[in-house]
Amino acid sequence: MRSLGRYLLIRTLLTIPMIFVLVTLVFLILRVMPGDPVKSSIRPGAPQEYIDEIRHTLGLDKPLYVQYGDYLWDLLHFDLGTTLSPVRGQSVAKQIWEHFPATLELALAGMFVTAVVGVGMGAYAAHHRRSVADYSLRLYAIIIYAIPVFWLGLMFQLIFGVWLRWFPIAGRISSLAMAPKHITGLYTLDSLLTGNWAAFKDSMMHLALPALTLGLYLSGVFVRLTRSNMLQILKMDFVTAARARGIPERTVVYRHALKNALIPIITMMGLQFALLLAGAVLTESTFSWPGLGRFLVERITYRDFPSIQGAVVVFALLVASVSLLVDVLYAWIDPRIRY
Amino acid sequence: MTKTRKLREEPTSLMGRLLRGAYWYGAEWYWTVTGGILLVLIIAITIFAPVISPYDPITTVGGPFERPGGGQVVLLAPKDSGITAVQKGLKVAVFYNTTAAIVAEKYGLTPRPYQVDKDLFAKVRAGEAQAVLIAARDAAQALADHQDFVQVGKPFGPHFLLGTDNLGRDILSRLIWGARAVLAVAILSALFSAAVGVPLGLLSGFFGGWFDRVLSLIMDSVYSFPGLILAIAVAAVLGTGVVNIAIAISVVYIPTYFRMTRSQVLSIKEELYVEAARALGAKQREILGMYIFPNVISTLVVVFSLNVADAILTEAGLAFLGLGLQPPTPDWGFDLNKGKAYLPRGYWWPITFPGMMITLVALGFSLLGEGLGEILNPRLTEE
Repeated sequence: MRSLGRYLLIRTLLTIPMIFVLVTLVFLILRVMPGDPVKSSIRPGAPQEYIDEIRHTLGLDKPLYVQYGDYLWDLLHFDLGTTLSPVRGQSVAKQIWEHFPATLELALAGMFVTAVVGVGMGAYAAHHRRSVADYSLRLYAIIIYAIPVFWLGLMFQLIFGVWLRWFPIAGRISSLAMAPKHITGLYTLDSLLTGNWAAFKDSMMHLALPALTLGLYLSGVFVRLTRSNMLQILKMDFVTAARARGIPERTVVYRHALKNALIPIITMMGLQFALLLAGAVLTESTFSWPGLGRFLVERITYRDFPSIQGAVVVFALLVASVSLLVDVLYAWIDPRIRY
Repeated sequence: MTKTRKLREEPTSLMGRLLRGAYWYGAEWYWTVTGGILLVLIIAITIFAPVISPYDPITTVGGPFERPGGGQVVLLAPKDSGITAVQKGLKVAVFYNTTAAIVAEKYGLTPRPYQVDKDLFAKVRAGEAQAVLIAARDAAQALADHQDFVQVGKPFGPHFLLGTDNLGRDILSRLIWGARAVLAVAILSALFSAAVGVPLGLLSGFFGGWFDRVLSLIMDSVYSFPGLILAIAVAAVLGTGVVNIAIAISVVYIPTYFRMTRSQVLSIKEELYVEAARALGAKQREILGMYIFPNVISTLVVVFSLNVADAILTEAGLAFLGLGLQPPTPDWGFDLNKGKAYLPRGYWWPITFPGMMITLVALGFSLLGEGLGEILNPRLTEE
């Protein structure tokens, strides 16, 4: 029987081994590879009993297979442990939860920029195939991919922040007192929902440069994807039929063809989610954006390994769930996709 | 009866294809050539770094944040002193910790470094020194303030084409030496990933079965994960050093090679010549090594080139986050990390040039890979 329900079930079950592999990988990297996380997080010269005590509370004195079992068991309960430094004993899960909305806001805004810029350019390139514009746009796709995203951000900061003074160059909002009431944690959305216009304008100004940076970084990939998808669609019979009926070329390309090319493009947006997250980590560090990526990098300098482990695991879960979500969405739109 | 058109023979050798490239492949050909030229330049820079680098990349040779093109010093002497040229043994008063202090020695002057707030001109008038040596950028103001002094000769001393960084190190020299570190890490990591990914892909694709399924699951999972974040985790544990960073990056790209090799093997395995070899009694090892592997190589070249571009960007990203090579090794990503702090004050040159270099090198490998991909696998181009 080919039903959406069955597809959903199988696809969800297939996500489990993937998450398991990633979670195991994180364990292998952080616990089995050489290097003592506890020793490196504590200033040198601390008494051995103190180190042993911390190792004991973290369960690091147990044999590896017990540690692995505990680790999986804790993860099943969404227990990511407690921090080591800079402050000991805080809940990692809570801290990650606090940092998550910032990353989500940046990712969504970046995705929006990418969709507008990348899909637009890609469709235009496909429309004017083998023209100067086509080759320039393809070259743009290669060049923008070769530009380090953090450098792009630094250049934007320099030009639009320091020289022109149009946008602020760091943070999410000018002062925390200005932050809107917490509903979703997305400052722009929350300020809209509460009708707080000052906060909305301010958070939009702060979001502009990071979103542009992240969006342009990803746009290259989307120019390519859109272009090749559009080229395939433009060869299809319904396009020829539309042209034969005398519908203006512009309408054929940007209405009829683009609409049909969008579905595979949306799926590929899901596949590029990992790239988006990697870009977000760097963009957050560039713009001092208080999200998950910056949290991860900051905790690495403190050698706070429960936080590092927690953040990486959360990234893994995010990737797995987004890819699941996109597949399900695709199957829902396109009934041909079933197990 | 229709006359059969004589088809132009498609050149089959790699060299033949490359030479006929401009005709057959259009714009992609120029990408390949541009990429190739960029890479030759970068490799030349890497090899000749000691010759072309104007200064040592890790020692202070100028004042902090000398503007690009700046860094010259001028000699100002009292009008009636009779000093007409830069002479050896001349006693000069110089700003402390500026370019002047460093070059004075080089030109055989006897420097007397004073703090900036001390009046250098008063020292000369008091006879403690014969002339004043200051940075050229301050000369106009100084001459306006002290009418009894004149400039002797033209500005001399070091010339920093791209300026200096916060520690007064020459940025151009750091860029030149930085190429070594970046290329070493990127190529080493790509080699590591290929060395693990390709054999696993060959075996997995060739033998199939449970081994293949489990390995594919692991590789696909790693492949789906954001590469930089994985590299961050590994680098955080392994620590710094060229080999450690290369390993951290290579972990990310093993699945790229694995997937590519495996899918190639799956299709090549079904080819007639493989079947023929099998019928002739070739051993498994021979089929894999002599019939399948050579056919993977052309795709491998493309993937390798694109992968080095990725590895360069990942290395730069790690360094930018402070997880790359440790100072004093010159590294572009790390220089961006340091330069970022001075950006709000408008110092644009410490962050502009290293980023450009990263882009150019990554672009070189990308263009070469993209172009070669189109040339070696014309079927991939959408017709």
